[in-house]
Amino acid sequence: MSISLEYALENKNAPAVLCCRAEEGLVLSEHNLEDPAIFDDLVDSGLLNLDGAITIGEALGAKLLGTFDSLTPLTADKVEKAAVVEEAPAAAEEAPAAVAAPVAAAAPAAAGGVLKLHIDEGKGIDIELPLGVAGGAVAAGGAAVVPVAGAAAAADSDEEVIVRSLTRKHYKITEVKRGPETKIEGTTLYIREGIEAECRDDHGIVLDFKLEIITPDKYHTYSETIMDVQPIATKEGESELGEGVTRVLDGVVMVVTGTDADGVQIGEFGSSEGYLDENIAWGRPGCPEYGEIMIKPQVTIKSKMNMERPGPLAAHKAADVITQEIRMAMKKQLTDDMVVDTEVFNQVRRPGKKKVVICKEIMGQGAMHDNLLIPMEPVGVLGAKPNVDCSNVPVCVSPLEVLDGCIHALTCIGPASKEMSRHYWREPLVLEALHDHDVDLVGVIFVGSPQINGEKFYVSRRLGQTVEMLGVDGAFVTTEGFGNNHVDFASHHEQIGKRGIPVVGMSFCAVQGALVVGNKYMVTMVDNNKSEQGIENEVLANNTLCREDALRALEMLKAAMAGEEVKKPEKKWNPNVKATNIELIQAAGHEVELVKNEWALPLSDKRIKKYGDTPENVPERYKK
Amino acid sequence: MALKYGDKIIYMEGVIVEIHDGCVAVDLKGRLGYLRVPMRMLLTDYELKVGQEVGWNMSFPEQLGPEVNDKYFSNLDAYKKRQAEMKAKNSEKED
Repeated sequence: MSISLEYALENKNAPAVLCCRAEEGLVLSEHNLEDPAIFDDLVDSGLLNLDGAITIGEALGAKLLGTFDSLTPLTADKVEKAAVVEEAPAAAEEAPAAVAAPVAAAAPAAAGGVLKLHIDEGKGIDIELPLGVAGGAVAAGGAAVVPVAGAAAAADSDEEVIVRSLTRKHYKITEVKRGPETKIEGTTLYIREGIEAECRDDHGIVLDFKLEIITPDKYHTYSETIMDVQPIATKEGESELGEGVTRVLDGVVMVVTGTDADGVQIGEFGSSEGYLDENIAWGRPGCPEYGEIMIKPQVTIKSKMNMERPGPLAAHKAADVITQEIRMAMKKQLTDDMVVDTEVFNQVRRPGKKKVVICKEIMGQGAMHDNLLIPMEPVGVLGAKPNVDCSNVPVCVSPLEVLDGCIHALTCIGPASKEMSRHYWREPLVLEALHDHDVDLVGVIFVGSPQINGEKFYVSRRLGQTVEMLGVDGAFVTTEGFGNNHVDFASHHEQIGKRGIPVVGMSFCAVQGALVVGNKYMVTMVDNNKSEQGIENEVLANNTLCREDALRALEMLKAAMAGEEVKKPEKKWNPNVKATNIELIQAAGHEVELVKNEWALPLSDKRIKKYGDTPENVPERYKK
Repeated sequence: MALKYGDKIIYMEGVIVEIHDGCVAVDLKGRLGYLRVPMRMLLTDYELKVGQEVGWNMSFPEQLGPEVNDKYFSNLDAYKKRQAEMKAKNSEKED
């Protein structure tokens, strides 16, 4: 099949191959050339050999020196190159290369102002370059071009505006016990005996409620699927979510688990039941840290309710009865002398820096594909609205609201890739973007992922419009899990990208979560995969967004905003792409520590048998 | 994992027989089996209704080897036991 002229010019450096038989003397145009997208498969199967082939750019306008069949690669001896056509692009290419070289090196530190070049002879190519002023290197590169603009922008480049602050007071818990009332004494948390009886709902959905306290010595016990991991936190005084003061317990987390009355997992289709120590990627943003005490409710809901919306919601509500009682005790009994650590998060705006927005796609197909938005207490239930009931339309929140638990995640599917409530509490991309002095984070947009394609495009168009109105220079789009949410994920890229805004996508893809669809705006992508084989490996939160991914995405967006070119993707998933990106970031002076994957989990006898894994097999980088 | 017949891709059709908030169940045409898939693994252009037809490409599942995977075996075992216990307990309650 022939290609369009626009497509040919986009791929002018790809090899030129005839799409159909062409006669001697023909002047080649885009109509005679094959789509380079199909070459990989043909080369793999030995049907095509591209050695010595000229590029599409060289072939356009060239004269054929013989008659050739379809799928013949054009080599220098088969064509007489056109002198005129070749010259114009060459001239155009020279110009940007000369300017781009010094600036590109300093692009990450660039700030404010845009230099626009227009080259008439190069077939109307527009070049936009950031005029950096923050670093010395940038000034040196940019100064030669327009020194005046640089000096003017320098005035406000380092100014930071603190919009609001959030203080987290940490209280240490070393022991969790049952007692006559729910209270905190020193570093011991007591949970009232018999509270389980109150963890039933009015609709008769929750049939049974068991509470277990899992200390590190009990990590090797069987557990039903982990539905959610939640911080235990409450607002202090009159503070509202996302500002003021939040009190949080350290060393203890809520871990919600459950089944239906027939013993079927609530998170059926990718559940993480089994021995806790073998199924948790410890320390992921959404996971417990190794050594933390887990308060683990095991909720039993009515048979067959696990696949209906009220089922998982009832389980979460039941578990929240306990958390809420702990929150009330925290409000009354915690005093400032018990604080072991204080963290202050500032929502910083950096006028003059590149404006960026984070769009997080969350599940909204129903049942366990839902999230409670903006509760009154961190990761609470009261006051929250399910995003399915909000028709999944974009909801704008401040970065601090995200870090203060504005998402109570009901997401059950894909244990390795799902973002649980604690993930948002420690969201790495939000944290890194807030701390990055080169970007101005305007906020976070949550957009649900509905089931039907028509609805997906509906919310996606709203997202595009919202991003347009924010007037940002760049956007992140993240999603969790894989499946039909990739349809809207792709559409979000298109909606933002077609408005001329560079966009970086983040998702688990690798082998098993390969994207369902794609479009030309999906150029800068970060894969959240950590598993060795690139699969959903049923290890809780193994493939979720971590700091290393956030750093890659940030650097990628900065490069995209600076107009740097991105290399074409490899045909198949290749973990080396990530390794190379990380090396580049490290070379630029950033410290990136890679998280461990399933290899870091204990190698039980069982595992040695099941995968043939032996301690000697453990890749060097995962050895402690 | 190397499949011997992995390139045998066959177009299959089925009928939606159950719709839940979180999943749908599909009967493969020709009584070739039954499939439950989570909502997010289903691409839908229209409102879902029982009786709608769906199509997809699939292949033959192949055994990967003769070994029994102990993790999955013991999980299944534990799972069945627990299901039986819970069923017994719940029926006691009803009585």
